[in-house]
Amino acid sequence: MRHLSILGYYFAQYIKVRLAYPGDFLISVFTSLAGTVASFGFLYILFHRVSSLQGWAFEELLFIYGFNLVCLGLFNVLSMNLYEFGERYIMEGRFDQIMLRPLHSLFQVIFEAFRIESFQEFATGLVVVVYVWHKLDLPLTPLDLVLFLLMTICGVTIYLSVFVMLSTLSFWFEDRVGVSPPVFNMIAFGRYPVTIYNVFIQFLLSWIIPFAFASFYPTTYFLQRHEFSSFFALVPVVAATFLVLALILWSRGVRGYQSTGS
Amino acid sequence: MTVTPYIAFARIAFLKILAYRLRYYTGIVTYMVNVSVYYFIWKALYRGKESLGEFTFEEMITYVSVGFIIRTFYFNNIDREIANDILLGHIAAKMTRPVNYQWMNIAQAAGESFFRLFMFTVPTALAILVVFPLRAPASLHSALAFLAALVFSFMVFAALNFLVGTCAVYLHSILGLIRAKYFLVEILSGLLIPISFFPETLAEISRWLPFQLISFTPLMIYMGKFQGEQLVTSFLLGLGWTLVLVGLGHWFWRKAATKLTVQGG
Repeated sequence: MRHLSILGYYFAQYIKVRLAYPGDFLISVFTSLAGTVASFGFLYILFHRVSSLQGWAFEELLFIYGFNLVCLGLFNVLSMNLYEFGERYIMEGRFDQIMLRPLHSLFQVIFEAFRIESFQEFATGLVVVVYVWHKLDLPLTPLDLVLFLLMTICGVTIYLSVFVMLSTLSFWFEDRVGVSPPVFNMIAFGRYPVTIYNVFIQFLLSWIIPFAFASFYPTTYFLQRHEFSSFFALVPVVAATFLVLALILWSRGVRGYQSTGS
Repeated sequence: MTVTPYIAFARIAFLKILAYRLRYYTGIVTYMVNVSVYYFIWKALYRGKESLGEFTFEEMITYVSVGFIIRTFYFNNIDREIANDILLGHIAAKMTRPVNYQWMNIAQAAGESFFRLFMFTVPTALAILVVFPLRAPASLHSALAFLAALVFSFMVFAALNFLVGTCAVYLHSILGLIRAKYFLVEILSGLLIPISFFPETLAEISRWLPFQLISFTPLMIYMGKFQGEQLVTSFLLGLGWTLVLVGLGHWFWRKAATKLTVQGG
């Protein structure tokens, strides 16, 4: 509870910083939104030519993409500092400051900065999901809503866990290599039914870097693709497992942290 | 305009990037991931089909792969760098130099691209070649014309980035703008999907825009689908758009420079 109210303060503080220039902020949100809309261009143009992708209709792919944006949008709001963790916190020595405060270090790192514009991705994704839900006349019970919420939380957790683990590497290695970009690009794999990939990539996306559990598998339940129901049931398990792994790895990193002394 | 200082800018950019060469190893993986995603999508779409539009499956994979391979060459971050120059105040010192700011940026980007050609484009091409079945250029003639067309890929991309970067004079953060440009260029340049696949109206609009020169035009030349008269038209378009965009950048920067406020620095 204390963490929650502190999160509120962090967020309000950051909003104030960003809204110091409201015009700029609006343009920034608007242009980001234009980018998100343009990112649907590929699907749109593709399905102008073909009617299905291995048995998946345009609307179904929209749904997967939309759900992916919902989770990814929230993740992007929170992940801003993770990418710069090695540079900002370890190399510049800001992590010393974090260690001095009586609050979980990961909590501080994640919530010190937000990419507020990315709420537009969340919103766009939600609009797309609602549109498809309506268009395909998918069933909607209170349970479905609860499950959708749960799946969203799991999706965000999986993304956060994976990228926390990658950031943790900065505790041991001077991160000049940048392992995050290729992994970030792999999120795109999750936007399509895993069945289109070969066995190797299916395995990778499910069990090594589980992005399929953050976007494709969660949607199969809502899209009535019951052949994936066992995977759907595993989503919370995978999310919880990766979260625990990420937290363990993080605290190991913190224990071994040596300040740069700057 | 003397050329010598610009060559020096290009050389220094080349040396600077050499220090960060490790980044390019993971960059190769990133591009492999990108190509793989589209490989599998197209594979699923071509199942049971000989060809889609004017492309066979092999041609489509070649199109997508070579598209990403040349992206390793023409890509640059001029927009981000200008925004940074302005945000951090380096711009003040840079403007005192007796050189043209736009050409200085383009020269630096050229130095980077020259570096990428050897350290990034070639290894990425080799890695992709090992995994995916690519076709060679249609002919020696096409290959040479393709290489020439890459000059316009680079110039159009650089000039566009300069225009976007200059917006940073008026805005505090152009990250949203950069994002919008990123996705727009990805689609309208034909990187992800050939422009000839577009719905009629969108295809027509794209033909009137410079983005096609970045990806679609060189790729069609590579595959021998643009030849003869169409080849000549492509080069004229490339030249014309380069002049227009660089001219626009020149005008915009001169206008923006009078509005420039440097915070500290």
